[in-house]
Amino acid sequence: MSAIVECHNLTKKYRTKTVLNNFTATIEENTITGLIGRNGAGKTTLLKILTGYLKETSGKVAVFSERPFNSLKVSANSIFVDDQMSYPPALQLYELIEAAARFYPNFNLKLAKGLFDYFSFDPKGYHKRLSKGQKSTFNAIIGIAARCPLTIFDEPTTGMDEGVRKDFYRALLKDYLEFPRTIIISSHHLNEIEDLIEDVLLLKNGRAFLHLPITELKEYAIAFKGRKDEVLRRIGDRDVLHKQYIGADTMYAVVKNDFQEEDLEQARRSGLEISSVRSSDLFVYLTKPAKGGIDDVFGGN
Amino acid sequence: MQIAEWLETEILNGHFQSGDKVYSQYQLAEMYNINPATAAKGLNLLAEENILYKRRGLGMFVAENARERIMKKRKTQVLARLVKEVVLEARRLNISDAELIEMIKNAQQEGGEG
Repeated sequence: MSAIVECHNLTKKYRTKTVLNNFTATIEENTITGLIGRNGAGKTTLLKILTGYLKETSGKVAVFSERPFNSLKVSANSIFVDDQMSYPPALQLYELIEAAARFYPNFNLKLAKGLFDYFSFDPKGYHKRLSKGQKSTFNAIIGIAARCPLTIFDEPTTGMDEGVRKDFYRALLKDYLEFPRTIIISSHHLNEIEDLIEDVLLLKNGRAFLHLPITELKEYAIAFKGRKDEVLRRIGDRDVLHKQYIGADTMYAVVKNDFQEEDLEQARRSGLEISSVRSSDLFVYLTKPAKGGIDDVFGGN
Repeated sequence: MQIAEWLETEILNGHFQSGDKVYSQYQLAEMYNINPATAAKGLNLLAEENILYKRRGLGMFVAENARERIMKKRKTQVLARLVKEVVLEARRLNISDAELIEMIKNAQQEGGEG
């Protein structure tokens, strides 16, 4: 395995606002990475730097061992798919597919045609007349069929309905199995992509807050539920990722799972319920902007 | 790990016998709509527990005594935990031992379906 993307202390500032702040991460060849983070976390900025659309402020960024900005190598080997993609307005949808096929050396025209028909696009239609969801679907077809060594999808399912989303993720997985390549897909819905991806990269405050295999994220945290004093005793001075009071005396608390099996066994015996934490819930707890939650806005305890 | 559990169940109900080749990580990825690396982790987990074994270049196969290993593991881990939970809940509800055992017997008579 070799690294396709390497960032070291990558920083991007817009005037006074720092969007990426000493971001450091490495992405290996032929993996699917889920880039997750709340709105405004810097996902799009990072992806646009990786594909050479934006210039970093400082730090090191290398894609295919080259600085992406003004790199022909990066341009020739990558595709950036989002809902803002623009095409020559004079061309019909089917002509756009054919033009993309001439442009991308690995383009799979048969797959593109198959998906185009499956999603019932009108070959003589125009991109600007498509609905939001249809635009996303069309762009995703180009993104999959292009088979670029570095394929980047920035919030690809915006506007797609549930059925189309499922079909899109399935099509992407199937084509990845047939033609492995490095894929980065950003989303703020971890539950949508958790089966598809191999690694999770969680962006928070402009940094790589977590970067680990999705299987490890599923075991990252653990939840205790039961009598408040007992829950507090068991979790000790660990950082509480999430807590909730149920009724007068019952507490639910999520903490990092660094417990020994016998500690958990004892906790169970003292009447606590112990459960795993869904990765999409964990994502929300980990990316909370600050202490507290929505309830604090409304005052009270 | 769901893939590991699913393969265990397939071995338990006889769909795969000792010595049979199981699905590859790519077949599992396609069948379960999951990342092939995640599927590989499920297979490796079972190899670590000697339920599957690797044959270089050929794939993963069901080990000798795989069924027995799975049954033992499920009994000591899964079933034991469920029983503890049942006992705890019964205690919270002040249910006597006799009453609890009666409930288990009734459940058994109902056929253990579902």
